[in-house]
Amino acid sequence: MKRNISRVLLSCGLAIGSLSLQAQQPNQVFKGAGSPVRPKVPMSWNRYNDHAGITDIVKKIAAAHPELCKLESIGKSFQGRDLWCLTISDFKKGGDVSRKPAMYIDGNIHSNEVQGSEFALYTAWYLTESFADTKYIQELLADKTFYIVPTINPDARDNFFHEANTASSPRSGLIPVDNDRDGQVDEDGYDDLDKDGHIVMMRRKNPNGRWKQDTKDPRKMVMVGPEEKGEYELLGQEGIDNDGDGLVNEDGYTFEYDPNRDWGWGWQPNYIQNGAYKYPFSLPENRAVMDFVMKHPNIAAAQSYHNSGGMILRGPGGQEDVGTYNANDVRIYDILGKKGEELLPGYRYLVVYKDLYSAYGGELDWFYGGRGVYTFSNELWTSYLMFNKGNDDDDNGVDPSYQFDRYLLFKDAFVEWHEYDHPQYGKIEIGGFKKNFGRMHPGFLLEADAHRNMSFSIFHCYQTPKLSIDSIAEKDLGDGLKEITAVVYNERIIPTHASQDLKFKIERPDYITLTGAKVVASMMVDNRDLGITTEQQTEPATIVVPNIPGQGSVTVRWIVQGNSKYTITVDSRKGGLVIRGK
Amino acid sequence: MRKYTTAILLAALTALTAQAQQDYSPYQQQTSRLQALTKQYPQLASIKSIARTNGNKDIWMLTIGSGNNTSKPAIAIVGGVEGQHLLGAELAIGFAEDLLKGSSSDSIKALLNKTTFYVFPNMSPDASEQYFAALKYERSGNATTTDDDRDGKTDEDGYDDLDGNGKITWLRVKSPLGIYKLHPDDSRVLIKADAAKGEKGEYLLYAEGIDNDKDKLYNEDGPGGISFNRNFTYKHPSFTPGSGEFAVSEKENRALVDQLFDLFNVYAVFSFSTDNNLSSPIAYNPAAANQRIVAGYLEPDAKANALVSELYNKVTGMKEAPKSTPAGGDFGSWGYYHYARYSFSTPGWFVPKAKPDTAKKEKALSVDDPTANYLRWAAQQGITNTFTPWKAIQHPDFAGQTAEVGGIDPFVLINPPYKLVPDIVKKHTSFIVQVAAYQPELDLVNVKTEKLGNGLTRISLEVANKGVFASHTKLGERSYWIKRIQVKVNTASTQTVISGRKNQLLNSLDGLSAQPLTWLIKGSGKVTIEAGSPTTGTAKTDINL
Repeated sequence: MKRNISRVLLSCGLAIGSLSLQAQQPNQVFKGAGSPVRPKVPMSWNRYNDHAGITDIVKKIAAAHPELCKLESIGKSFQGRDLWCLTISDFKKGGDVSRKPAMYIDGNIHSNEVQGSEFALYTAWYLTESFADTKYIQELLADKTFYIVPTINPDARDNFFHEANTASSPRSGLIPVDNDRDGQVDEDGYDDLDKDGHIVMMRRKNPNGRWKQDTKDPRKMVMVGPEEKGEYELLGQEGIDNDGDGLVNEDGYTFEYDPNRDWGWGWQPNYIQNGAYKYPFSLPENRAVMDFVMKHPNIAAAQSYHNSGGMILRGPGGQEDVGTYNANDVRIYDILGKKGEELLPGYRYLVVYKDLYSAYGGELDWFYGGRGVYTFSNELWTSYLMFNKGNDDDDNGVDPSYQFDRYLLFKDAFVEWHEYDHPQYGKIEIGGFKKNFGRMHPGFLLEADAHRNMSFSIFHCYQTPKLSIDSIAEKDLGDGLKEITAVVYNERIIPTHASQDLKFKIERPDYITLTGAKVVASMMVDNRDLGITTEQQTEPATIVVPNIPGQGSVTVRWIVQGNSKYTITVDSRKGGLVIRGK
Repeated sequence: MRKYTTAILLAALTALTAQAQQDYSPYQQQTSRLQALTKQYPQLASIKSIARTNGNKDIWMLTIGSGNNTSKPAIAIVGGVEGQHLLGAELAIGFAEDLLKGSSSDSIKALLNKTTFYVFPNMSPDASEQYFAALKYERSGNATTTDDDRDGKTDEDGYDDLDGNGKITWLRVKSPLGIYKLHPDDSRVLIKADAAKGEKGEYLLYAEGIDNDKDKLYNEDGPGGISFNRNFTYKHPSFTPGSGEFAVSEKENRALVDQLFDLFNVYAVFSFSTDNNLSSPIAYNPAAANQRIVAGYLEPDAKANALVSELYNKVTGMKEAPKSTPAGGDFGSWGYYHYARYSFSTPGWFVPKAKPDTAKKEKALSVDDPTANYLRWAAQQGITNTFTPWKAIQHPDFAGQTAEVGGIDPFVLINPPYKLVPDIVKKHTSFIVQVAAYQPELDLVNVKTEKLGNGLTRISLEVANKGVFASHTKLGERSYWIKRIQVKVNTASTQTVISGRKNQLLNSLDGLSAQPLTWLIKGSGKVTIEAGSPTTGTAKTDINL
């Protein structure tokens, strides 16, 4: 306890030093445990940011923490917006950040699933702002690198905020598509009849209708029973038949395609996988991510934020891929996913194809199936968080949304039913939940859940390989020959190569090299005690190791001439670079 | 090398005059031939580059047709699908040349008014140039640097011309563990010993080369690249040599796919490669066709394939060509399964089965073997210099063993001697022109008007497809890259549609079928009804109320 207090005092001292330009008085605020108390970049985590807002925040974080953070644009969206990526690591300690085992995080692949961006930004902000006074974060960033891309769908993110939408639109980016195949593009989308920026429901009074107002909350429409008469009919979401084809809202910008069906593992065309575009990475935003990942083979873990439902999802996305995720890898996923369930109350660890639906060509499938990277997609927000009970699949439970809106949000989440004169339906009423409710976190719950999800990613990243040359033993063989045996240990859960990676040789093997001495022979040591080895006949200085398992080791041996000093280097794409001299 | 220089000179000097070709054309000459066509037929042919390869070569697209090309149904023709298959590019360019040469005839004139042809003559120029290079070998990979054996090193173990003859043939090594033996009827040829019959082999057989990186594998990671015909999305064999890290990773593939997805008017694709669904059509397999991930032709599409195959064999005499199974990631399968158009592929030629030469007292081959058959056929045709006699060499990896270099030349099993090419081109051009006659074509027939009094008229008609092909493949009915048939009633402001839709979509129309439609319209004067889609063209009728 004493130590903790002194650390807080010390951090206050540091803060005073670094913030002398700001007019804050150190005594006015006191640190809440685990949160940055006087951040260099002040933030409010109870609201959302459009692309310009994100641009502003990432620039501020990068400018405030030049030794922890580098900002780059990894490409442009269809409409030309920058896809910002923050590289976060200790640039002064632990060597080249592009060689440290890394975690990639993105958000907002589905444009209406916006809070992934805030969660990603929170992670970047927290890591940089907590670094000064949190030893754990200092050690983490000495060992690891985070690549954080807050939004990989900025065009449609801005569209979601600034144009009229439902909570579920647009899901895609904004490349126009002729959904109904009539030769015209986007000719009949939603119409924001009352011009309030929210697409909600249309209802019409009708004595033959099958709907009525709920007695508990008249805003809610419920179906009438079999022998009961209704008062209303529901007419779908706000809209008009703009092109006179007898269909309402059948071809708008709101569902052009699905960016999460556009990735290069198990990809299927749109007649099999609804939402698929032309071929893997046929969307410019995904292509930019792919190019980035291919150039950063140190990425060993990934998270792609979605909403909603409170799920920690892993692949496979398609039933056909069940064999791809073999027992060794599933064991690792399980350790990570079950920890996630502990850290994220209300969230469940699930498998996409089995617990959700089959989806081909998803981002998480490519990261794992195509690159051998252990990847999760968290479906952020669950109705559990309203009253800390229930879950989104509980069909028998009472929908808590109306109660939550009434007592905690003071009816801010709902457009009250109001009359409208519709050109095709006549006198109707418009009303329903706003687009920022149902899938997005209400403001006051955003920061807490962002922190919890970040903690899961930190755990995930922490478990990427940490290699060390555990021991070096020498034995004189006589005649000027010396036998050098080294044990390379990986103290974390994730191996340098996933089983999928080994199966397809996706990433090159790990190299363990002895330099400085003349190597005449080398071998893998299969059983050190019994002296069972496998010789490597070519290029003996560099021993080629297919994998260094999680919480396990490999033993290698060189026979060298003479007695010179030497250096051993472990060079693993996902496991990093370790050098030890002797 | 001299041949190459001569070819370039010829191309440069005679770009505008039709010259009899002597040999397959290198990239530069292909380009000249295409450009010559656009100069000679500026009203009918235009050319553009859709990509530039990593080997710095243009991927050309030649558009042939008269008038507005995008408003007519179209056929795409793709050559150079496999770089080693030189005939493929020759067939595609030859098709364009033959078609345009005949363009003053009434029948071709009518065809070019009705159908647009998009010709992509060579999708593998980086690879096909290897035929003309100082070192000749069969290559399908482009100029992308790859780690074919996935050991962390790129291009570290390619072929080696051990006998210095400028071509990569074969290396055989005598070994008691050999799995090859001499062909009983032709001792130049090696065939596999059948261990199941207790046979023992005498030779190990490799492509000509050295194990440059000492990994016990020969020539497993040479220069280049990704193969165009292994980089498509259908059953993409990710991570296998030549296929790439994921489908459509290569510029050539992307450019073609992007281009074709924009060409909504394309209803059929012809490609030239060793994959063949024309000599023998793909049989309908209900189990495969009904899988969620469709793995077999749907029944109507298999029928269309059979129909076209029958025509193909009649026109070209290719019925006996060996059967092929696409390896996955191939263009022809993509054309059907993922582009959802009619997709036809043929190698265009195969080595005919040689009859025994009775003068030489030959008997029928006691063991069928493509090389032995080829050598017999070549001898009968007077073709020489396509076999390198086995010659002993000192091989660094087989010190003290008998190693010999020799065997059949690259390219000759899949590419005919050039003198046969013009006739093959002629037959294939004729075939494609005849398939174009199956093109889906809309018409509005049995148009009737009934006056119901007081300005109310009932219109009924049938939207008919006069073509043998359906408006879309059966599979294409499901794809949003294919437009439906739109039927529109264009009314004046004084007219109202009382019943029936002003604007509706028909999912598809089978070949030689019709769908009746009816409307009630109030008003007087002229009403125009039109039905159309990019793959069928548009039909219109004016009706006086």
